[in-house]
Amino acid sequence: MRRFEWTAALAAAAMVLLAGCGGQLAGGGGGTSSAPIVVDLIGTFSGQNADLGSWAWNGVKLAIDGANAKGGVNGRKITLQKYDDQGQPTVGTDLAQRAISDRATMVYGSDLSTVSLAMIPTLTSAKIPQITSGQAPAILAQGSSFIFLDSTTSAVFDQTLADYLVQKQHITSIAMVSNNDAYGKGEHDSFLAELTKLAVTPTVDKVVTPDQKDFTSVLTEVRATNPKALFIGAEEVETGLIAKQARSLGITATFTGGAPMGTPTYLQTAGADVAEGTIMTSPYLDNDANAKTRAFAAAYRKAYGQDPELHGAKAYDGMNVFIAAMRKAQPDLGGQRLVDAVRAIEYDGLLGHFKYDERGLGLHATQIGTIKAGKVTPI
Amino acid sequence: MIGLAQTIVGGLSMGAVYALVAMGFAIVYRTIGLVNFAHADVVMIGAYVTVTFYLTARLPFGVSLALAVGLTAVMGLAMERVLRPLEGRDLDLMLIGTIGFGIVLESVAILVWGSFGTAVPTPIPNVPLHVGGVIVTTYQLLVVAVSAVVMVVLFLFLDRTRLGTAMQAAAMDRVAATAMGVDVGAANALAFAIGSAIAAVAGALVGPLLYVSPGMGASIGIKGFAAAILGGFGSIPGAIVGGLIFGLIEAFSSGPLSAYADLITFVVFALAMMVRQTGIFGERTGDRA
Amino acid sequence: MIRVGLGKPALLAVLFALPVFLDLYKAHVAVLIMLYAIVAIGLCLVMGLGGQVNLAQAAFFGTGAYASAILTATYGWNPWLAAPAAILAACAVALVVGLPALRVQSHYLGIVSLGLAVAFASVLTNATLTGGASGITRIPPLPAPGIDLTDEYNYYYLVLVVLAGVTALALFVSGTTLGRRLRAMRDDSLAAAAVGIEIPQYRLMAFVLAGLLGGVAGVLYAHLVRYVSPDTFGLGVMFLLLAMVIIGGRDSVWGVLVAAALLVAARDLLIGLQTYQQLVYGALMVGTVVFAPRGLAGVASAVRRRLPFPWPSVPVPLPWRRSAEPGPAPPAPSPRRPPQAGGPAIAVAGVSKRFRGVLALDGVSLEVAAGEIHGIIGPNGSGKTTLFNVVSGIYQPSGGRVLLHGRDVTGRRAHELSRAGVARTFQNLRLFHRLTVLENVLVALDRDPAYAHARYLLGPWSVLRRERRDRARALALLRDLGLDGAADELAVNLPYGLQRRLEIARALAAEPSVVLLDEPAAGLTAGEQDALAEVIRRIRGAGATVLVIEHNMALVMGVCERITVLAHGRVIAAGRPAEVAHDANVVEAYLGSETAREEAV
Repeated sequence: MRRFEWTAALAAAAMVLLAGCGGQLAGGGGGTSSAPIVVDLIGTFSGQNADLGSWAWNGVKLAIDGANAKGGVNGRKITLQKYDDQGQPTVGTDLAQRAISDRATMVYGSDLSTVSLAMIPTLTSAKIPQITSGQAPAILAQGSSFIFLDSTTSAVFDQTLADYLVQKQHITSIAMVSNNDAYGKGEHDSFLAELTKLAVTPTVDKVVTPDQKDFTSVLTEVRATNPKALFIGAEEVETGLIAKQARSLGITATFTGGAPMGTPTYLQTAGADVAEGTIMTSPYLDNDANAKTRAFAAAYRKAYGQDPELHGAKAYDGMNVFIAAMRKAQPDLGGQRLVDAVRAIEYDGLLGHFKYDERGLGLHATQIGTIKAGKVTPI
Repeated sequence: MIGLAQTIVGGLSMGAVYALVAMGFAIVYRTIGLVNFAHADVVMIGAYVTVTFYLTARLPFGVSLALAVGLTAVMGLAMERVLRPLEGRDLDLMLIGTIGFGIVLESVAILVWGSFGTAVPTPIPNVPLHVGGVIVTTYQLLVVAVSAVVMVVLFLFLDRTRLGTAMQAAAMDRVAATAMGVDVGAANALAFAIGSAIAAVAGALVGPLLYVSPGMGASIGIKGFAAAILGGFGSIPGAIVGGLIFGLIEAFSSGPLSAYADLITFVVFALAMMVRQTGIFGERTGDRA
Repeated sequence: MIRVGLGKPALLAVLFALPVFLDLYKAHVAVLIMLYAIVAIGLCLVMGLGGQVNLAQAAFFGTGAYASAILTATYGWNPWLAAPAAILAACAVALVVGLPALRVQSHYLGIVSLGLAVAFASVLTNATLTGGASGITRIPPLPAPGIDLTDEYNYYYLVLVVLAGVTALALFVSGTTLGRRLRAMRDDSLAAAAVGIEIPQYRLMAFVLAGLLGGVAGVLYAHLVRYVSPDTFGLGVMFLLLAMVIIGGRDSVWGVLVAAALLVAARDLLIGLQTYQQLVYGALMVGTVVFAPRGLAGVASAVRRRLPFPWPSVPVPLPWRRSAEPGPAPPAPSPRRPPQAGGPAIAVAGVSKRFRGVLALDGVSLEVAAGEIHGIIGPNGSGKTTLFNVVSGIYQPSGGRVLLHGRDVTGRRAHELSRAGVARTFQNLRLFHRLTVLENVLVALDRDPAYAHARYLLGPWSVLRRERRDRARALALLRDLGLDGAADELAVNLPYGLQRRLEIARALAAEPSVVLLDEPAAGLTAGEQDALAEVIRRIRGAGATVLVIEHNMALVMGVCERITVLAHGRVIAAGRPAEVAHDANVVEAYLGSETAREEAV
């Protein structure tokens, strides 16, 4: 056994002590004072899904800057702190503790369902309201009154889509390909349930993995059933790959699915020719849809030099809901009071009409769109 | 039947990419005895550099590829230089050193190109050709063709040129090779450079098939390593066969049991290793007392 | 009484006092550091001590966490009952992952274990039992009467106690016979087998130890975070653990602890700069491997050696003496096994050994009487070492029989023959280079089979007692051979002549009845050769039979009673040294046929 030395031992001890110096026992969020209101954004800023965190940050920041420009909430400015959960649930729990130490009024996070799920117990017992972009059914199933979704669930998405495809367009020959991560599985189960309700059976129902690169064998089976539409339940890049390979294999079915198909990433990965004619359901389709979205897009472009898309719009709406709630709840922004206020108000945002129920779902409908000439347009 | 053939086609085109990755890997192993865990990330860097020249600088694909090959070869030389003190001493530590290198490469890629990936259009129009009910795309053919060319060139180099033969000698017996006037250090560096160059070609080819992102090395890499080992560590034909087999296993298991594809692939791999430790074509080196 | 550097007790004191200074968030980070440290110590045991490249450690961690989660959240078990079940599950998974280690090693094992880790993640993501990609939520906390274990600070102390226990266990294992055997196996598995270590069992034991610690940490993790998902136990965590072990120093438990603290704390400090964090980890790994391969532990001992003053240390009572200290006279060595009355010690009958196309031994027969000093000579490549390898069980013969004291031992493996009383040295010197001189002998001295290690669980005090007894005996042996002055030196640091002698000491430690010496005089000076001859005679005097392969004719003629001559894998002459020296076949084999004819004339 090699001897270990005090240099390193004391160095480690010193480091931990230094880091701990000035630590205080934490409390909950809110409180009444004229101190700035602290909002913690916990998102994925590294790794494969790093774009999700950036988009959320952009949207939330835009909303907060807008509110601060108008004097904040009752004279109090809102400050935004950014934390990277690295896509890891464990890091998420660390950051949830950090939010408590920060005495955050609320947490915006995470963009990934798994990380959001990890944070819920900690934030709920600390009575810190949490709003997330995740949409896994497990989130609402936690039964916490402190969790809110900034968009809607797979159930709502897929109900809208299934209704459109089957009832309006009379398409009943639909194949399904989805991946088996939290999002993909949620999409798969919801869409299948909706089809069943409408007495339609998918021609084929295949599952792939999120890391998969080659879908030839799955798509060959799909091709054999000659479907009119191919439902893809996966994230942006994988959806694009599946679509691209499907066309290479001679599948002519219309691609259809949820929000990921409305993003520029999908368009770019699949290629404009392949993506043409895709039918998707999304609460936010087009920056030019109405005056509100155009104003938002202009502000976004000015602040960040790029065009906004769904995730940014979601975050903008979600933050604005909370800002409105804060205005109602003030001067006391304590956890319970704030969540009550969120449920008491209604808000018309870019994505539609928000009214939160006890579970935490605020948006109850989405739109149908399609890709025409390389642009997402509502139908 | 058509389904089977179609699956084979898909498996072979990914398999050609795995074969390239495995070959780059094998050549470093057979010359230095080093397992280079950073190899997969070299593939990724090769892909990114090609894409940057191709899309941003708008150079022709072939030229971009050549530039990428040159740059990654230099990178390979640098890696070998840093790890040189460990050569021939502690293999396990070298292995871990390359893991560290891989992590560094991935971070550098994120810092330079962002963590967002890019889709890459195929350099030639990707037309699906119908061959007896089976569809093969022109780009798939290009990938297989380029891989084949690389394999042949590598063979000829190792077998027919003096430099290649010298590298083989250095691989078999450092001391004897040095006695014969072979500069073993240079041979090792050359092996690294060639291995990295081949990795760059693999990366550039696979980009249009999939998606270029900092994490792309991970999934291709581990299959490439496993392919090299399955074929017999250090055997070039083995790497090719191993790569093709892996592509096929992946294609076939992603059909019926898609969810458990990884599980099946790696359990089969573990069993294969236990049955024949040195892989299909590997040389058995006994431990002489 | 041994002295322990002040660092260790200081560290312990700091750890106990720490929570007072930390806020909730930092306390949480500190708990995570300790949990990762537990898993990393497990990796240190299997990789640093056992030399097994294990890239699936995070999967053992995951098994413990998931098993506990499933049993408590899904099936409603009491967490304290679920914990041992979960730990057993982790050990079982470790055993399965360890199976390939019986056939492949080093980088092959690295990639196989990495692949199995990927396969494990695939199972987690797909099985409904594990909750799929969403994982398992609402894991209940650990129930404890009167203490709230959802409180971060209370949990800190629970984990600290477990960490202290785990560290004590790891230090206990590595400082006593189990750890020594693992390290011997790591340094040279062939020589380890030759001193009686059952390599397959020990490789699996190393993996099971890693699984045990991973499982313990996993259970604690599950009831702290109360949520598990597949991404929590993936490659990112694996590389973090690897960094901890490498940077800490592969076989240093304390080093791993400090590295764990440094790396996780650094991650926390760099929390806004995750990409730079990755860069730093990677660069640290490369830097450590190239510039400081022994890690922090190595750097620390190098620094300590260079300091002009001795380190502050505290005395700790331990039940054995440091070798340099005088102690009571060691117990008299037990008498060697007396030679069997009648019958040869070794009989080799028509043994052949074929390697692919080469016939290394062709129908070799010889008999060595009990208590004889028998020489084996012959030109290079004649099969002498191959013969030794067959007799000592390193090779299995392709034909013929080998009898030891009249018992048929044909085809038995090296460790079985070692236990049957055969010991040997090697032509190319195979010491356990990272063990000390004393430890090299101790490894051979311990004759217990692998399952005797159950003592660690059932009666740890008996382990300590045996340790004390064995050390005394080992020192006595070293004294006999004049090596006691170097007892605490690393074997690799000895001068060549002493290394040779150490190898002989190691062979004798097992109290063998047959000793095989393979070119023991190679590279020795004239004086050392004389000493060697003396040693050989003493070995025989103590009751053993000795076979010697040698090229040094003076030594052979002076010491051996009978000689067998091999050439091209066949026996060409046998008998007393004087007879054999003039045998025409022998001369021809060494010098060529011209000379033979000249001699005959």
